[in-house]
Amino acid sequence: MKKNIYQPIPASIENIIQETGTIKTFTLKPAADFSFATGQFIELTIPGLGEGPFTPSSDPNVKERIDVTVMNVGCITSKLHMLKAGDTVGIRGPYGKGYPLETFKGKDILIVGGGVGLAPLRSLLYALFATIDNYNKVVLCYGARTSNDMVYKYLIPDWAKKDKIKVLNTVDIGDPSWQGHVGLVTTILDPQLVDIKNAVAIVCGPPIMMKFVNLKLLDLGFAPKDIYLSMEKSMSCGLGKCGHCRVGKFYACKDGPVFTYEELKDIHDIWD
Amino acid sequence: METYFLRSEDIFKFYDRISEDYRLYVPVRVKTPLKPRCECGFNLPVDDYAVKEYSEVNKEDVIFNEYRPVEPARTFFTYYKEEVCEYFSEEEAKKKRDRPLAIAGFKNCDIFSLKIQDWVFMEGVDADPLYQARRESTLIISGDCPNFKEACFCRAFDINPHCLEGFDFNLSPITNGFLVDVASKKAQDIYKSIKEIFTLATFGQLSGRASKRELVVKKLEEHLFHHRIPKKEALQDIVLSGLNSPVWAEQMKTCVECNGCVFMCDTCHCFLLADEPAGDKTKRVRVWDGCLMKNFTRVAGGANPLKLRSQRLRNRYLKKFDFFVSNLGYQACCGCGRCIDVCPGRIDIRYILRRLYEEKHLSADTG
Repeated sequence: MKKNIYQPIPASIENIIQETGTIKTFTLKPAADFSFATGQFIELTIPGLGEGPFTPSSDPNVKERIDVTVMNVGCITSKLHMLKAGDTVGIRGPYGKGYPLETFKGKDILIVGGGVGLAPLRSLLYALFATIDNYNKVVLCYGARTSNDMVYKYLIPDWAKKDKIKVLNTVDIGDPSWQGHVGLVTTILDPQLVDIKNAVAIVCGPPIMMKFVNLKLLDLGFAPKDIYLSMEKSMSCGLGKCGHCRVGKFYACKDGPVFTYEELKDIHDIWD
Repeated sequence: METYFLRSEDIFKFYDRISEDYRLYVPVRVKTPLKPRCECGFNLPVDDYAVKEYSEVNKEDVIFNEYRPVEPARTFFTYYKEEVCEYFSEEEAKKKRDRPLAIAGFKNCDIFSLKIQDWVFMEGVDADPLYQARRESTLIISGDCPNFKEACFCRAFDINPHCLEGFDFNLSPITNGFLVDVASKKAQDIYKSIKEIFTLATFGQLSGRASKRELVVKKLEEHLFHHRIPKKEALQDIVLSGLNSPVWAEQMKTCVECNGCVFMCDTCHCFLLADEPAGDKTKRVRVWDGCLMKNFTRVAGGANPLKLRSQRLRNRYLKKFDFFVSNLGYQACCGCGRCIDVCPGRIDIRYILRRLYEEKHLSADTG
């Protein structure tokens, strides 16, 4: 019998980490080995309720487990936040195109994350760590609203210690406990961070943040083809059939969710 | 492809033979109180046709329809709501072994649109197994249009009101009977089993059909001349340059968001996957979705790129005339006019396309 493209496989929740007041990271153990390329997404099913698209935040080289980092904002995510270790969810995928790591070879990589947008970038970082010899250097610029809204606070210091990796953090609104930089993430994008002529920039965060980071990167001299953006759209099937996630002549699910700005620059209202 | 002559009185022998192997659907006339009048002075028929199961209708009601039925052909391949899978269960889903379908009464507009549905559901990342199984097993008996409705505008996009490909059988009405094109292996098998009711088409019959077809095309083009619908080559250009046209908001003033245009559209395909508890398991259902619904593009958290009805109408035209032209090489509109017939707000695709064309080209002329 033909495989049913809409059927999820069961996955049990092994562990839950409370990242912030509204964000949790779930470690899932799928019933069968499940592999994905960094940047691809999965459809996560809450049995009986429905499904939504999430990009795994775990190391793509690990086949037995997947992490997803989820902010509690809607119907599916609020139910997911109520689940406990041992509960079962469903997964389907992976879908979409991942980050083209091959084309990053020999380059400086500037990663710009905003809020929970660091989740897919964490998976990218793990993939880059595993092949770090291929790149000149990796710079992560991460901005969150306040220090309490930062995810992976327990991991970032270890990343910063790694060879060829530099990490810069900022918060929009400072508080007495925060010792670091205060200001929007665009304020830490310095032209000295990377060799812009031989660099790529990878951006993921809320649409308004991506819009202004993109403008800043263009201003710094990045070519549109070297800026990679993640498009957040309403999706249902993940297969380019249901019609929800159209972006110009593309479907975000099938042709994305990662696009270069070169691909998107002539499409109207992409940031809405 | 071979063409045979079938006498009018033998059409039921033909249908009876098909219904031995297939669940046959045939066109019947439906009386409608709606009488759309042609503003250009053409005297056009106003009746509608429905497609009903052959075993459930009286034979005297079965007719050869002059133009496309009310509902589009895609309703036989994806249903308004249907179960696509069950999870998580170990047992294999019970396979319903229904007899395959045979559908009669569909016209070239529907045949054209099936190319778009095929691309969506059978190409790309993965094929949809439900759609594919139905598409492969269904027998399509198309027909020429000896006439057209006020809303018909297939010829505006160079689509003929008669079929040359994409069917199993095609019926062309001629004096005292039909010319029957036998196109596929499935159709040949049926033909061979009831050879006695067919005779080879004569040269006279074939040239008679050709001139009848030409006459319909000519009359339809005369009718369309008054609507001044832009040529298909211009469509992508005018919708892209018309992004900020006032026509979107102006036309949507009368939209009641019923999504009739979407659900009656021959080429629309959007759907939503939803889950329904069924005992200790869960059913996943696929329901039609429509891009004029206000939550079509809403994401978790409430952001919605298409908040305004005018944005949603524009989005629909961009999908049909930009997305599909870029990806497939032709527009996702066959000119069947069902969206015009169904709309309680009298929103007319022919008028919108004409306005977009005029706004681009006439405003350029006058500077």
